[in-house]
Amino acid sequence: MRLLCLQPPLCLTALRAMTMMTGDLTHPYGEAGSGMPTSEYLLAVDIGGTFTDIVAFDPQSREIWVEKLLTSYPDPSAAVLDGIRRLLEAQGMSPDAIRYVTHGTTLITNTLIERKGAKTALLTTAGFRDALEIGNEGRYDMYDLALVKPAPLVERRLRFDVPERILADGRILQELDADALEGICAQLEAEGIEALAICFLHAYTNPAHELTAYQQVKARWPKLPVSVSHQVAPGMREYPRTSTTVANAYVQPITERYLARVDDGLRCSGIEAPLNIMLSSGGTTTVAAARAFPVRLVESGPAGGALAGVYWGKQLGDSDVLAFDMGGTTAKAVLTRDGELTVSNHSEVAHVHRFKRGSGLPLMVPMIEMIEIGAGGGSIAHLNRLGLPAVGPQSAGSDPGPAAYARGGAEPTVTDADLLLGYLNPEYFAGGDLSLDLDLARCAFADLAAALDLSVERLAWGVHQLVNENMAAAARVHGAERGLELRRYSMVATGGAGPVHACGVAGGLGIRRIIIPRLAGVGSAFGFLTAPIAFDFTRSYVAKLNELDLSELNKILRSLETEGRAIVEGAGVPADDISAQLSIDMRYVGQGYEVRVPFTMGQLDAHHIAAMKSAFEAEYRRFYGQLADGVPIEAVNWRVLIAGPAPQIERLSLRSATTASDSPIACRPVRFGADTPARQTPVFRRDQLSEGWRAAGPVIIEEAASTTVVLPGWTAQSSAGGCLLLLQGDQR
Amino acid sequence: MIDPVTLEVIWSRLISVVDEQAAALIHSSFTTVVREAGDLSAGVFDRQGNMIAQSVTGTPGHINTMANCVRKYIVPRHPIDSLQSGDTLITNDPWEASGHLFDLTIVSPVFYRGRGVAWFASTCHAVDIGGATMGGDARSLYEEGLAIPLMKLFKAGDVNQELIEIIRANVRVPDQVIGDIYAQQVGNQVGARKLIEMLDEYALPDIEEVSAQILDRTERAVRAAISALPDGLYRDEIGIDGFDEPLKIACALTVEGDKLAVDYAGSSPQVDRGINVVLNYTHAYTTYTLMAALAPGIPNNEGAFRPIEVRAPLGSILNCRRPAPVSARHLIGHFVSQPLLTALAEVIPRQVIANGSAGLWNTMMDGLDAAGEEFAYVFFSAGGMGAAQDRDGLSATAFPSGITGVPVEAIETAAPLLMHRRELRPDSGGAGRFRGGLGQKMELEIITGMNANHSCMYDRTGNAAAGLLGGKPGASGEVALSDGGHPHPKSHYVLRPGQVVTLKLPGGGGFGPPTLREPQRVLDDARQGYVSLAAAERDYGVVIDVETMTIDTEATKARRKEMEAGK
Repeated sequence: MRLLCLQPPLCLTALRAMTMMTGDLTHPYGEAGSGMPTSEYLLAVDIGGTFTDIVAFDPQSREIWVEKLLTSYPDPSAAVLDGIRRLLEAQGMSPDAIRYVTHGTTLITNTLIERKGAKTALLTTAGFRDALEIGNEGRYDMYDLALVKPAPLVERRLRFDVPERILADGRILQELDADALEGICAQLEAEGIEALAICFLHAYTNPAHELTAYQQVKARWPKLPVSVSHQVAPGMREYPRTSTTVANAYVQPITERYLARVDDGLRCSGIEAPLNIMLSSGGTTTVAAARAFPVRLVESGPAGGALAGVYWGKQLGDSDVLAFDMGGTTAKAVLTRDGELTVSNHSEVAHVHRFKRGSGLPLMVPMIEMIEIGAGGGSIAHLNRLGLPAVGPQSAGSDPGPAAYARGGAEPTVTDADLLLGYLNPEYFAGGDLSLDLDLARCAFADLAAALDLSVERLAWGVHQLVNENMAAAARVHGAERGLELRRYSMVATGGAGPVHACGVAGGLGIRRIIIPRLAGVGSAFGFLTAPIAFDFTRSYVAKLNELDLSELNKILRSLETEGRAIVEGAGVPADDISAQLSIDMRYVGQGYEVRVPFTMGQLDAHHIAAMKSAFEAEYRRFYGQLADGVPIEAVNWRVLIAGPAPQIERLSLRSATTASDSPIACRPVRFGADTPARQTPVFRRDQLSEGWRAAGPVIIEEAASTTVVLPGWTAQSSAGGCLLLLQGDQR
Repeated sequence: MIDPVTLEVIWSRLISVVDEQAAALIHSSFTTVVREAGDLSAGVFDRQGNMIAQSVTGTPGHINTMANCVRKYIVPRHPIDSLQSGDTLITNDPWEASGHLFDLTIVSPVFYRGRGVAWFASTCHAVDIGGATMGGDARSLYEEGLAIPLMKLFKAGDVNQELIEIIRANVRVPDQVIGDIYAQQVGNQVGARKLIEMLDEYALPDIEEVSAQILDRTERAVRAAISALPDGLYRDEIGIDGFDEPLKIACALTVEGDKLAVDYAGSSPQVDRGINVVLNYTHAYTTYTLMAALAPGIPNNEGAFRPIEVRAPLGSILNCRRPAPVSARHLIGHFVSQPLLTALAEVIPRQVIANGSAGLWNTMMDGLDAAGEEFAYVFFSAGGMGAAQDRDGLSATAFPSGITGVPVEAIETAAPLLMHRRELRPDSGGAGRFRGGLGQKMELEIITGMNANHSCMYDRTGNAAAGLLGGKPGASGEVALSDGGHPHPKSHYVLRPGQVVTLKLPGGGGFGPPTLREPQRVLDDARQGYVSLAAAERDYGVVIDVETMTIDTEATKARRKEMEAGK
């Protein structure tokens, strides 16, 4: 059986088992895996581009099991069901012992990137069918005369407009022309479209016409999936709202088919537990809600990774966490604020240039704020046009990969630099599955080093430092845009290259505490387990604080809450366990960016107005330092988050090493600076360290999934739960 | 001597510092012009006022003019050692800064361990600056609003309250104008704080050596790009609408080794309407256009400007004398990009694009809203860009300006206006092997029940964007009222309730002969409604069967033969 109880060299061993495709693999770790099946399990499934990860958790024994297998194409649900079945069988779990299943997938993101969605049409207000194509009229790179913009998901001839008009304040100027719409419906049918998006001007203030049009289309064509903008993306600005609504319609049929297959498959396997779907906002929702708003599932995998970061931070008592994940081609970073992930409504997918902001399709749905830059182990070092060394975003990826992989790659990469510096062990990379060739790495760096008149080692140090600075810079600007002070943060470092670079990146940000967590190989799926069932709704209601119509507002908030509670209860959460949180997007009149202010949910009356004002001012001061005294304040969006309790996954049963040995397994020369000679540095094996082990840097700690580099000036310790804790200076 | 690795690390950090400066400015701004249109620039300068790095936001008319302003006008008069911590300077002098009174340039020195080490500056477009609004009507600078000669905005941290009061008393929407001035100050302060952290971290006394090396390397890279061009004289000239009379922009590029000189001799003399361009602005759009064509990827800083000389006769439309009116200077200034690229087409056809709509269409409305309060609102819109050797031009996209448009919903929320229509304009892209980008069409109405003042700043209503190397011109623009009449495209008039004004923005020029366009592409354009069936036949010689929407191959061959024979 290819089932593993969670034990140290977890993901690579699992991976190897999987790639070998041998039928059965005897569990290597004895009792834990073959322990008596307990009564209940939580299951999480993450489909990535390459692997499908499944994690099972037993809340009673607090044990975790992991299954990793190749994602199946063209039907990813096959691997999901296959994996679950294997896990149940191997563990002797009864299907009815599964309490719930949380699922996230890259399917939606990939459909948008690969443009493989449904044949979609768009219905707009007469005169505005080109909003989707006109976009913001800007160029995302001022110096590129050959710039390419992302093509709209709906071609022009499938964009129809119908006479109707609602004004900015919600008043109806012109009624919807039902006859014209009837004619359009006939054309839609003749075209054989598979999905429809409806986006009328100012529908976020008054959805009447969108609803009427929706009903008219549905009456004629009940099975056509129809997305309406005031539900998918209720907010001002017609371009991003249309873009989001269109994206939702475009992925809806494929998502419906997929989710139906998974859901049916689970039932066929005898699993009666509800299937919850992971959202890009960090919450989960029901299959029904996911089918209605599939665009909210974009980037749910990284959202799970972010949740895992928060989880590990909290386990070690840290609420302000920078979750930093560095893999082969990219690095991602997520910041929490007061222990919470920040969720914003402005993001993009399917970029023309992956790392250029503005080159993607805008999405206005709640999404965990995340930065991604082209910095990974495979990133290539080169000379820029100033003759200075630069790293990425071009990447050698995993094929051919870094020069040291000896798979034909000849370009100098970050991994080659890390090897040349002594950080990586040529004999123990990826758990020994891959040996690294030092000579090839040296060879790849020779030309660039000669061009810069530097030694290969000096350049390798430079490349390592540059990629660290690139990542730190991205995090710094991200923090600045949100008024966050990163010095107070702890870092949770994951990914194959994350722990190699963690100390360097942290140093550039003034961060002094790093956590290298467990379960890094299945971080997203593990994160799903920690996600509460939650759904949020937004309604635009723009008014100056002293002009708010409180009875109208209370009506709006109550209806949002009722709607949300229905969804969350539908997912099996008892009504008493459901909480509602309100946040208000506010700004000074005339400003265009709002500040999100948490506020107490409940019946609002006149005395709450002053509290709203002071809550806004406190937030505003935190962001900008200075208030604009005398300028009136207005509320713009009202957001209600309905959530069940987060699953309690405390004190994971992560047993200590089987063969504890706190002595180094080796010593090797490692470089830690531009001009300092290599230092003999002790090397430890992570799975042999006992709890409470401590060592002062420089130290190298190897494990199958990664290598942790502890720089001089830092201390490493093995903490409870199996995490490594790196501290700068003399903290304890 | 800093080694190349450390230099690159510090340089990357400087770029992130100016991005932090811009982020703080944008997020605390009070106007859609700055926030949504991105009409701003932010940058860091060394002690002498050499611009080292700029933020990735911004528009060339602000970035490159700001660079010259700080180095040529501010630092010589206020050397950094004559200032103290907490000082901030402000100016909107058109000749010294960015060409019209609307743009406020705000500059703060940074002190580190008691010594001035750098400057942070930003230039933002104020939503109003008093005077006769933003059209080109004024006969002299004095009619165009409040002039703020170079002076202190903050002195040792204390705001110059008299100046603030003067500004307040002169502008129509004081809260927004003053709010944005504070936003610029916030941006400069954030930049300064981050720079000091960087100096601490890398144990640097200042950024002089980093600056010297970066500027030197940039200069060498730009010189290398120029050297790749054959020596010679390259010329082009274009006609533009002007205010009352058509105007000419003539340019002559001289490439000599690693130097490039641009001379606008032969361009029209300055006029007595507010469309004159100061040399600083001409310089900005000239260097920007050349950098985009010759050296994309090389940073834009003081070093990039050194190998490029820009001349225009004093008293010409591109180098006007004080106190010429200049309010709508971008209407003309954006056009210098056009003959420059056409002149270069002779040697680097792959790196240039055909002429496009070039000038932004700026719409300004002011009057009283329904509640009787004064409003003033401005937004920018873009026509089509020219086509390139291997691709169609971008529709409704700003070039050479770097701004972005404003959503209709944002316009209607902020101002008592109703947009009846905003869509692409079929057949407005110039025909060519590659088609020019389409312009757009808008219909606007005032909904207060009262008159409003509409200031137009629109060009290419007379002179269309020329095609390149056999490509045809794009459609020219048009301004029309629903009850007849065509308002002056650079003046203002009273828009009455019930009247609808239609703006048809120009399209971009085509690239290469239209008869070489693949018939399938023409058919696709026709199916999508970018090109009408009539135009497909008339301009491209592609005959399409209306019933089946397929190409009539024989008829197309025949028609194209006729066209090539000149019929």
